[in-house]
Amino acid sequence: MQISPDVLFSVAGFPVTNTVITTLITDVVIITLVILATKKVSLKPQGTQNAIEAIIDYFRETTESIAGSRASFIYPWVVSFFLFIIISNLIAQIPGFESIRFHVSSGDHGVPLLRAATSDLNLTLALAVASVVTTHFLSIKHTGIKGYLTRFISFKMFPVFLFVGILEFVNELAKFISFSFRLFGNIFAGEKVMATMYGICSFGLPLPFIGLELMVALIQAIVFAMLTMAFMHIMTDKSH
Amino acid sequence: MEIIQKFGLEAKLFLFQLVNFLIIVFILKRFLFAPLRKMLEQRKRKIEQSLLDAENAKLALDNASQERKKMLSEAKLNADKLTSSVKIAIEEEKQKATIEAKHQAQTILDEARQQAGLEFDNVSKQLGKMSIDLSQKILKKVFSDLFSEEEKQKLMSRALEKIDEKITN
Repeated sequence: MQISPDVLFSVAGFPVTNTVITTLITDVVIITLVILATKKVSLKPQGTQNAIEAIIDYFRETTESIAGSRASFIYPWVVSFFLFIIISNLIAQIPGFESIRFHVSSGDHGVPLLRAATSDLNLTLALAVASVVTTHFLSIKHTGIKGYLTRFISFKMFPVFLFVGILEFVNELAKFISFSFRLFGNIFAGEKVMATMYGICSFGLPLPFIGLELMVALIQAIVFAMLTMAFMHIMTDKSH
Repeated sequence: MEIIQKFGLEAKLFLFQLVNFLIIVFILKRFLFAPLRKMLEQRKRKIEQSLLDAENAKLALDNASQERKKMLSEAKLNADKLTSSVKIAIEEEKQKATIEAKHQAQTILDEARQQAGLEFDNVSKQLGKMSIDLSQKILKKVFSDLFSEEEKQKLMSRALEKIDEKITN
């Protein structure tokens, strides 16, 4: 079973994979949404502005209920993660998404032109790194370098807190793995399930699985966004 | 290394995805969150202002309502005062009219009595005259045959004197 994305072609030594193409499509969709939502910003929101506002408002209020005044710098990251993941996940649920083939060389069977962006570990790891590194950066910014370091290194009640510090460090490293592999695993597995269902019978049979995958797409986006929110809240809170 | 290769992890792709996502975050922050946040704040301010206006309007309405109640109660009080004063005036007028009517009736009655008295006196005098005349005639008739002319004259004058006395008494 092939886990890695297929390289379609190379541009100046950069391998363009099918997940890169989907990532770029995701970017185009997001930019289109931004343009549509901000084209005519009005006090009485309609259409795209209304939908985007509802999402932003939901995450802003949820962040405020958890992090209070720190929500102002946390929620933009949370909404960004959510929008990027949900859009890239939903694009992959369009029927026939993976059926378009791309022939890398003449005579081969071809590879899918498009593949779910989040089924590429490069993307999920990049998102995990963005989430964790931003969380640590915000922690340093809002608790100070001393407050940040005392989470990991403390000589109070030696050696108990030293051990706790080591655990914290391991915990932070585990975040990269948990964030990236959770999203990657769920979407990749869903993709394989869908491919199997389409292989068995293309008509009717995949329908319940499409519903299931839509749910997974939404849940994974929410989980990633909410975990980022929770970690940012914990790491920027001086009392923790 | 084999696992990394199996999962297709590649530094270039990883960096591309990381930079791509950071650019998307920048675009969202710069072009989506900033204008929408500004607009949301504007809307929040407008809603707060509207709520404040509504509160002020409610307060003004309450004040107007209280003012109206006050005015109504004052008007009612004035009306009551006016009604009672009118009643008193009517009563006084009525009493005055009654007294005047009684007075007038008494005057009319007195005048009538006076008139009746006068009438009675006249009638009495006339009746006296008539009775004297009648008595004269009767006496003339009765005594014409019994007495002489001289006796008749004496008796008649005596009788007439008596009658006259009676009448005057």
